[in-house]
Amino acid sequence: MRPTWRLLGALVLGAVIYLYGATSEVAWLFLFGLLLWAAALAMLGYTRWNSRGVAASIRLLAVESSPHSPSPDLPESAFRDAPLPAPVFEGDTVELELALTVTGGSARGPARLATDIGGRQLAAGSGLVPAAGWRRVERLEPVRRGSLAASGVTLDTGDPLGFFRHRRRSADQRLAVVLPLFSSLATSVQVRELESAFTAVRPGHGNDLYGVREYRAGDPLRRIHWRTSARRGELVVREFEPPGLRIVGLLLDPTPATPEAADQVARLAASEAWDCLRSGGRVVAWCPGREATRLDESRSLWSILEWLALYPDLPVDPSGPPRVMDAIAFLTRPGGPALDALQDMQSRGAGARAWLVGEGELEVPYQAVGTEWPL
Amino acid sequence: MALVKLLPRSPIEDSGVARAFAFGTFAVGCLAIAVYGQTYLAPAGTLLVAAPGYIYSHRHRHDPPDRIRQAVIAGLVFACLAYFVFDSVLALFGGNLPQANFVMLLVAVTSFELRTRRNLYSTMWMSLALLYLAAVFAWDVAFAPIVLAWLLCLGGFWTASHLKRIGAPRFQVPRVPLAAALVAAVALGGGAFVLLPQPSARPAGPLIVSLPTYVSFRGELENPALPLVEFGADPSGSTANINLRYRGRLGDQVVMYVRTGAPGYWRGLVFDSYQKGIWTATHSEGQTFRAYVDARQLPPPQGPQLGSFVQVYRIVQPMPGVIYAAAPVESIYYPAAEIRRDYYGDWRAPAPHAAGTTYSVVSALPDYTPGSLKKLAGQDPSPAVYPQYYDTGSLSERARALARQLTAGIDPADRYELVMALTRKLGSEPYRYSQNLSRVPPGQDPIDWFLFDAKVGYCEQFATAETLLLRSLGVPARLVTGYSTGEYNPTLDQSVVRARDAHAWVEAYFPGHGWVPVDPSPGFDPLAATRFPNRWATSGLARLIPHLTIGAPGAALGSLGALALGPGLAALLIVLVAASGWLWTRRRRLVRSRSPGEFQLLRLYERIQRRLRRRRGPAETPLEYEHAIVAGELAELLSDVTAAVNRGAYAERWPSPADMEELTARLS
Repeated sequence: MRPTWRLLGALVLGAVIYLYGATSEVAWLFLFGLLLWAAALAMLGYTRWNSRGVAASIRLLAVESSPHSPSPDLPESAFRDAPLPAPVFEGDTVELELALTVTGGSARGPARLATDIGGRQLAAGSGLVPAAGWRRVERLEPVRRGSLAASGVTLDTGDPLGFFRHRRRSADQRLAVVLPLFSSLATSVQVRELESAFTAVRPGHGNDLYGVREYRAGDPLRRIHWRTSARRGELVVREFEPPGLRIVGLLLDPTPATPEAADQVARLAASEAWDCLRSGGRVVAWCPGREATRLDESRSLWSILEWLALYPDLPVDPSGPPRVMDAIAFLTRPGGPALDALQDMQSRGAGARAWLVGEGELEVPYQAVGTEWPL
Repeated sequence: MALVKLLPRSPIEDSGVARAFAFGTFAVGCLAIAVYGQTYLAPAGTLLVAAPGYIYSHRHRHDPPDRIRQAVIAGLVFACLAYFVFDSVLALFGGNLPQANFVMLLVAVTSFELRTRRNLYSTMWMSLALLYLAAVFAWDVAFAPIVLAWLLCLGGFWTASHLKRIGAPRFQVPRVPLAAALVAAVALGGGAFVLLPQPSARPAGPLIVSLPTYVSFRGELENPALPLVEFGADPSGSTANINLRYRGRLGDQVVMYVRTGAPGYWRGLVFDSYQKGIWTATHSEGQTFRAYVDARQLPPPQGPQLGSFVQVYRIVQPMPGVIYAAAPVESIYYPAAEIRRDYYGDWRAPAPHAAGTTYSVVSALPDYTPGSLKKLAGQDPSPAVYPQYYDTGSLSERARALARQLTAGIDPADRYELVMALTRKLGSEPYRYSQNLSRVPPGQDPIDWFLFDAKVGYCEQFATAETLLLRSLGVPARLVTGYSTGEYNPTLDQSVVRARDAHAWVEAYFPGHGWVPVDPSPGFDPLAATRFPNRWATSGLARLIPHLTIGAPGAALGSLGALALGPGLAALLIVLVAASGWLWTRRRRLVRSRSPGEFQLLRLYERIQRRLRRRRGPAETPLEYEHAIVAGELAELLSDVTAAVNRGAYAERWPSPADMEELTARLS
């Protein structure tokens, strides 16, 4: 509990008035000074009582999706194991509840709760905290990818006159993880060309005919099944199924050039993961020098997205890249350990391609993009 | 400008409630001035102007500064100042509380430019000045609610601005707990006000309530009349005598209020020559001073002193221009161009007192205790130089014989016993005090008639008789008129003096002490010395503890102004209590946060270090400490405790209570 400058001012005012009373024999001045000091003492007791019975909490109340949010496109089943109350994607608007509660069943106050959430200073105060508690809803828009945490949470209590202040600091509290945006890249012409290129040259794999489907823009011409196309009167292409279970490794640049590039890397990786998972595959994400996603969670979209949300601020882990047959690197510069790992995997026969956020030339099949989203 | 730059920027006050409370302080100040200053036009008018001013400044608080508006306000401030000068010096508008009117006008004018919190504080301090001026005139406990109301408004302002600062959307507070805290504060402060002695300190300068006027003396000084004797048709009073054959009507009307640190006699005029029932003053010469006379301009009081005390007089009804004051005066301020001190140390104003005149006096408080008065030093005034002090006038031989009879057996050199014996005898049976006195029979000496026939009289008879009897015994004496203390309230430090309190008493000369007041009138203290009130006793606290007298040391300290240190000491006490509470709480939390074994072990480790007379250095590990010190008989215990400390610190395995008991037993 700390006294404020106002208390000092009140005590000095009381002393001056008291002294003036002593030199002028105006007894009312003694009463005035004594009442001021008595008020200071009473407020000391009040602050002590008030500070003991007020507690603060912050929680995520609701999420309002942005136009680019993938939530509306996700199937209902995907939300079964989604974060509660709703997954938060970058760009979304969130509503946070800042609440003050009291113990003892009687109203208290004043109290002020202040915190830093997502780089924004939030503060809410009230002179009265009713017995039923007090809450205030704050809108935060748009949120950025990463951990949405309340840091520097301080609860200030005191007396109504502002003579004393009791400050209680709480540990940082994670409210939500803001996930990267993603969308299916399967409709992208360039992606399909890239896919077909590395699938076609992959020796010994992907030769089992899975079926045929209508032609989509970007499909390589050599996949066109001319006979069926002639029969149906429309272009039909062959589809090949990879042998066995498809596990895709996502290799992310550990030192993205800029935060915007990191965001784009996460979005691309999330999109690749989504495409892989919905086609029945599994995904393992890895960032050199950092902890990879767990293999038993390789089918969980939300686990992958959460990992990508925290990228590149992930726990340190020196273990090597995952053992997968297909690997996609996400780079922000033409080089680095992720590219080395990709090339190493390619040399061992794995399918390899890359996304490059920025400009440059790579020795593996790649596609260069900027930081704008959607692509 | 430099000061403005040094001060931190004050925030714009956004709280409308805070502004409302600031306006409330002004309203309370105006109310106090209206009730106790008995002036109504200025408070009502300025309130009517200030109210829209507050609203206007709140609505335009974020507007950029309007130079024209500021210039107009500055011009109006100067106009207020001009009014203040004219009204106070020339009394053009009556001169009734010009400073209060000035403050109210200032608040009203500046109310249109109240943007920041500092602006609001400024206006509240001006309201506080109004409250102070009203407090000087407040003579009843009904002023306490006004003080409370002002403080509540101040508290409301603080609360509103504090809530705004913490971001509270509304002015809401927990009513019941806050009310309980405020009631506790009022009880605490009010109780302290009633119970605690109030210090009396010497003011650094004059206490100016009424401002000086242009009025000065014209012509020679004349003794104005006194209410004791007769009110002539001339209100300024031009009589220079007291005629014992006349008696003015002394009613219950209040003539003046006196704020005083000690109840005393309010001394007026001195008379030294008595002939055939009429007292006159031999000397009419005097010395003229400016409105404020400080201690350096006056002769120091004779004899040992107990301290000094302040009096503030407020004249309620027009009176002759005698400046009443407790003697001896150390400094005086009277709102006139000049004042005059006469040959006897009396003070005169250049004109009759107007109702509302307020002046202040600082008086010495001589040590007139019996022990002190028995110690004489020096000589009496020489009869050759001051024959009037020995002149018995027309005192009869019967009266002289009575004086000798009343003081028979007392050593004539024992001045104190001689004077007090005569005073006590006159003040007791068969002599009685009465204001319903028949006229002195024509042709009879008033003193002989009083002493031997009527044996009933009022203060002039008693005082005159004693003065003359003392003179017949060779003791220099003179008659003093003025007012007795009146109704003294030790809590409020004030006396209400009524017309019936007009009084006459005797001043007897004591070598080394000067003129000492004695009062032979029945019902009055024979040794009419001013004393500091025993506030502990009067407050009611001492009444709960019979036979306990604890006021004297406090009074002695108070006379030295030492009790003025009370506020600082109280503030220090508050800080110490708060710091102790904080340390105690912190220590308790520390103890709670640790396991019992941890706390006990670390305390034992501390004790061992103290026993070994060397503390472990900050960078020294327990093992390094153990190896570095020669522990002697404590070596084994130190080794075990060090091992236990290391186990606890590094492995979180603190000793059990049983282990601790064993280790502690080994130390003792």
